[in-house]
Amino acid sequence: MGKISVYRFLSAGCNGCDVQVLECLVPRYRLAELNVEVVSNPEEANVLFLTGGVNIKGREELIKVYEKINPPKIVIAVGNCALTKEIFDKGYPMVGPPDQIVPVNFYVPGCPPRPQAIVKAVVQILGAKLEDKEDYWATPEGFRGKHEFDRDKCIGCGACAQVCSSDAIDVIDEGEKRVVRINYGHCSFCAFCQDECPTQAIRLTREYHLLTNNRGTAYIMNDVDLLECASCGAFFFPQPQIDWALKRIIEEKVPKYLEFKDEILDAMKLCLKCRREIMNMKKAKKILAELSAKARGS
Amino acid sequence: MPEKVYVGPYRPQLVEPERFELLVEGNRIIDAKIELGYMHRGIEKLFTTKTYMQNLALAERICGICSGIHTLCYAQTVEKLMNIEVPERAKYLRCVYMELERLHSHYLWFGILAHSLDEHKAFLKIMVERERVQDLLEYLTGNRMNYLINTIGGVRRDITPEKAEKIRRFLNGSKPLSDYIMELLNDNGGFTRKTKGVGVLPREKALEVGAVGPTLRGSGIASDIRKDDPYAAYGELDFEVIVENDGDVRAKALVRARETYESMKIIEQALDNLPSGEIVAERKEPKIGEEFGRTEAPRGELVYYIRSNGTNIPERVKVRTPSFANNFAILEMLRGETLENARVIIESIDPCFACTDRVTVVDAKTGERNCMCLK
Repeated sequence: MGKISVYRFLSAGCNGCDVQVLECLVPRYRLAELNVEVVSNPEEANVLFLTGGVNIKGREELIKVYEKINPPKIVIAVGNCALTKEIFDKGYPMVGPPDQIVPVNFYVPGCPPRPQAIVKAVVQILGAKLEDKEDYWATPEGFRGKHEFDRDKCIGCGACAQVCSSDAIDVIDEGEKRVVRINYGHCSFCAFCQDECPTQAIRLTREYHLLTNNRGTAYIMNDVDLLECASCGAFFFPQPQIDWALKRIIEEKVPKYLEFKDEILDAMKLCLKCRREIMNMKKAKKILAELSAKARGS
Repeated sequence: MPEKVYVGPYRPQLVEPERFELLVEGNRIIDAKIELGYMHRGIEKLFTTKTYMQNLALAERICGICSGIHTLCYAQTVEKLMNIEVPERAKYLRCVYMELERLHSHYLWFGILAHSLDEHKAFLKIMVERERVQDLLEYLTGNRMNYLINTIGGVRRDITPEKAEKIRRFLNGSKPLSDYIMELLNDNGGFTRKTKGVGVLPREKALEVGAVGPTLRGSGIASDIRKDDPYAAYGELDFEVIVENDGDVRAKALVRARETYESMKIIEQALDNLPSGEIVAERKEPKIGEEFGRTEAPRGELVYYIRSNGTNIPERVKVRTPSFANNFAILEMLRGETLENARVIIESIDPCFACTDRVTVVDAKTGERNCMCLK
């Protein structure tokens, strides 16, 4: 492929990604070395950079612009709005993501992706080589990039999904497993999940080269075992969360309940439906009475 | 016979999509009309579907360039609702972060100004040097844009002595860039030739159309929320409100150029007088009622109004961004100018259409959707 002429198109985004594309023009990012230029007319371009999630008004313009692009018509969606509409997902004027309107070849996740990520994506797509220079790809300490799960620590509680600012985290119960899935193509990289996780199981790493050609694969996931109800056999609650809660109650908060450990565990092993059955209610009441007697006695 | 000329929505001149309809006779612009809506995302509706904390990330994404000030204004308004006393250290840190953002926003504007004046050498020089403030923000906050540094009750990351040293080194290195810009704006500078006397907004007109920020200060009116209604630690810091009297594009540029020095002064003072202590206070339940907050964004006065019903989700959030107020000034400035100057005049208010596009008017009779048509 000869000269690459890029045309930028933005509709319904915060324009952060658009500015990052503009910043790629700075000699430091060496886009020019790859024979890439940014043009201001779609008729002169053969590559289209899409940013933003596309709203009703942008839709027609996008189709018009796409038709004017010269072959080979490579379309690259830059930033998470162009992947999944991100935080604006449920906004009423949104009709995107853009790949439902025009064909998109590659996706560069990020909010916004660093200019280096965009340049690396272009390098990978072209199969070109960019000589590694010191500090060029480096990220600073504390950079908020792709997420990482600590499988041993995750208890499957779903607190991350509750605080997520852009609904990027799915918690799905499938058979005897609970799946926690972080769609980083939908993420706004606010790191609320990292802050809220009670067991520090989620960490935002410094990895940011996330180019993909299928936005459906832009996720990481973890699964935890679900606990079987002792009475009816239904899978209802993550096993590690029960262990974690029991440990917190007995070992950290109220050590004097230690001798009732088995009874409390038995009560916790019942699903919500079974807990309400007469027999179990009686049992639970008995435990509570014993616990309160114990508390008064000390 | 006047004819209509359309600029936009996707034309080379402009960074963001919007459409200008110019009524032209010969080479003179008689009248102008803006059509927006290419950036509309329904944000004010989305605000009422998320919790106060989640909305921080949404407020930030109203605009990617002045994202920090949106979270600050939102957080300050919510703090009033929740009755939170922000720790002193957090107030000073907020000033540091927000002034760094002002630097990056103003430098970006000069880059775009150079671009629209076809001064490619200046464009590259400014953009190259500007990378330093972007790197610094990434180092301090963890992201180049949408830093999410302000939170309800304080800030999320502290500035250690080591980081403060890096900021000081950055400030020393930035003065040459501001000097370079001031040089372009002196009487013989490259920018002056093309911007002096262009797009004049007289003092009275500026008041009449309700312009804010550098657009207003360029017309000789000293108005700055940091001075008029001090928030964060601005009341305790010494800085000057920059005013220029000419009202043309050059005056607006001069205001911004001189403001970069003031920003550096503020950051230095804030770092020198940084109090010790916590950086974030605990969140509380919001009261039932409404609150109003305003801050000085790089482009002018930013206003947030939040109504709460006592739950963890706001009932109504209304945002008035500076670009919205300044759009009316563009129309004033365009009238009577030549067509060649239209581009630089539109750029002169530093329009941020991502900020502005939140209003959709649907005609009930025809079902026609109009995203705010000004005339």
